[in-house]
Amino acid sequence: MSETTFMGVERDKIDWKPVIDYTKCDYCMECVKFCPHKVFEVKQNEEIKLIVKNPNNCVVFCRACSKTCGPDALSFPDKNETTKKIKEIRKEMEGNG
Amino acid sequence: MVENYAVLPCNGLDKCAGVISGEIAKRLCEGDKNEMICPVFYRVAEARYNKIAAERPLLVIDGCPTRCASKLAAEKNLKMSKKITITEEAKTRNISLANGLRLCENENSLIEIILSGLLADDNKNDRSCDKSLFLNQFEYASYQKDKFIFRLPKNAEFFFNENDCWAYVIGNRARVGVTDFVQKSLADILYFFPPDIGAQIDQFGEAGSVESAKAVVELISPVSGKVVAINEILEQKPELINENPYELGWIAEIELSDFESDKELLIGFDKYFEIMKKKVDEFNV
Repeated sequence: MSETTFMGVERDKIDWKPVIDYTKCDYCMECVKFCPHKVFEVKQNEEIKLIVKNPNNCVVFCRACSKTCGPDALSFPDKNETTKKIKEIRKEMEGNG
Repeated sequence: MVENYAVLPCNGLDKCAGVISGEIAKRLCEGDKNEMICPVFYRVAEARYNKIAAERPLLVIDGCPTRCASKLAAEKNLKMSKKITITEEAKTRNISLANGLRLCENENSLIEIILSGLLADDNKNDRSCDKSLFLNQFEYASYQKDKFIFRLPKNAEFFFNENDCWAYVIGNRARVGVTDFVQKSLADILYFFPPDIGAQIDQFGEAGSVESAKAVVELISPVSGKVVAINEILEQKPELINENPYELGWIAEIELSDFESDKELLIGFDKYFEIMKKKVDEFNV
């Protein structure tokens, strides 16, 4: 399901994933139900019951899970920084190619 | 202006945003201006509200993005004419809400701001666009999976991002919208949130969003620039996005600020069509 590249750049080189604020998260698991890419994992028997298990499955620039989050506990990296970084990597790749 | 509406608030009695939602509904329904639909009673005694729901436009007031009131409206097949989400309204205005359930200064000022917005006359001036610039009919390639057909315009002026959104660029203007992949994944679109006219949008920033019973999905803008028009018809007929998201289902018009730079991270028909086909194959629509 996950993409291995985004705009030709290896997904692993792009820092884009949800960050859970555990002081706000109430473990309603709406984000888990919503995300078709299996970014999150539920750990029912542990103190921290929700983790970002597969950050590279997260679709770059998608923030849709945060729209399902009642307590507003999900945040994402700065998109302008991410855009800049992707452009830089693409330039490097062109230089090397 | 919200008058003669049916008002459906959420019932989040254990959350500050829910209490605000209820308070706004009560204020809107003082006198005979509007009629409230109680979400709790509606679930157990639908008939009590069927007449109001059928005859009046509906305002839905969600407390938070859990969208209990919107989901109830979708479940009952009600068409939303207007919708607000209290936590979003607070965030936009930089107002932080209390953890408790009592309405204090911040909460009361947010209530007044929201009410004055809802009760003001709608000012729709300057929201239209120069329709002559853009065509509304294209030649399509299509890809079929089971009974679902996914179309994509072949026009060379269409650019796509890998987030399934498009920009149709003419000169320094672009129309933006979502692709068939988004609208089919969402199923019936029930509500359209336009971006603000005049707002500056970064590439990959949010240029409005669409909501179905399944989810709310934002339009991740392929281009940067200033919003100069929105597709007003969608406010009454969001289903046009399902009918054709490239023609009458376009979302906003943007005055481009740096298209040459934006273009570096956009793709044309050939590449996106391959990506869309792969997504369709992997996704259970």
